[in-house]
Amino acid sequence: MKRLLMNKFVIGLFCTLLALPAMAQEDELKNLAGYVDFGNLSATYGEPKITINLGGTMLNFVGMMSSSESPETSDLISKLKGIRVQIYSIGEDTDAAMHQFGETKSNLQSSGWEPIVQVNEEDEQVLVYMKAVDGNMEGMTVMVVDDEEAVFVNVIGQLNPAELAKVMDRFDVNVDLALD
Amino acid sequence: MNEYDDKWEDHINALLDGELSAGDADLLKAQASDDRELARAIVEAYQLHRAMDQLNVERAPRSLTKRLNAIPREHRSASAFTLFQPRWAMALAVIPLIVITVSLMRPDTPSASEIAKARQEMAIAFAYIDKAAVLTGREIESTVGQTMANAVTGSVNKVIQSENLTSKEKKA
Repeated sequence: MKRLLMNKFVIGLFCTLLALPAMAQEDELKNLAGYVDFGNLSATYGEPKITINLGGTMLNFVGMMSSSESPETSDLISKLKGIRVQIYSIGEDTDAAMHQFGETKSNLQSSGWEPIVQVNEEDEQVLVYMKAVDGNMEGMTVMVVDDEEAVFVNVIGQLNPAELAKVMDRFDVNVDLALD
Repeated sequence: MNEYDDKWEDHINALLDGELSAGDADLLKAQASDDRELARAIVEAYQLHRAMDQLNVERAPRSLTKRLNAIPREHRSASAFTLFQPRWAMALAVIPLIVITVSLMRPDTPSASEIAKARQEMAIAFAYIDKAAVLTGREIESTVGQTMANAVTGSVNKVIQSENLTSKEKKA
């Protein structure tokens, strides 16, 4: 009996220790001022068709790799601490996505985020919010809900859209965006 | 048994084992000539020695031999290495703790393919942001016209740029 308890204790301790890095990575972003909790729409729409979670460490490596080919891109990336994307295929059932959209918007407003752009159409909602602390940009959030997709993008750190437009041509992005 | 007896007993045993030197043997013989007790002790010891030699050594039963041989093994397994003894559990728990601590203290080095994948993911995120900016600009344009749309989207960029400028000035 005593040995059985000891086995359970050791196995439990092993599992806890092995899960620590994953928890630390998630906490690394959660504790930043520019982090936004988008909730979870998986119960309604299934798993997101695109999920992106990039932390500061990985972005640093991407920035270093980009420095030789484009100092502008490297400079832009160096100001970022994290990038998170969740994209759900929602079909025509927009209720849950719209509800989450409204709830996140409410949370952003109550936690000091500033609206930059908002488009309110009957079949399309677009929202761009920015967070600044003591004059420093800490994050940007883009949310789009239309009759096909719910898109939640959270950039943690400083991102200048004008600089972004300049470097976009350098990325070989081949994605079929439903925002057209 | 006193010290005197001990001395002669050692001599008698050595004599029976054939290990007594010639000098000591003469000495023992001379002493036994004068000491009847000692002489009798030598004779009794010799007879006992002969009787012991005549005893047949009986082989132990096979099962008993096996059991006796197993004793050291059982003793060794019980005390040498038991994985879940508290001291081993602590030692094993410390190993991953050290590995994790070290891995947390120095940044992981991702592979080239992982960095390329991250770059692609980042580009996707940027594409959505860029597209959202285009979309909002288009909505504004369709509502208030091109000139106003440029003015609005331009002012949005200015707002964000001014935040960056403020932060740069503060750093300077």
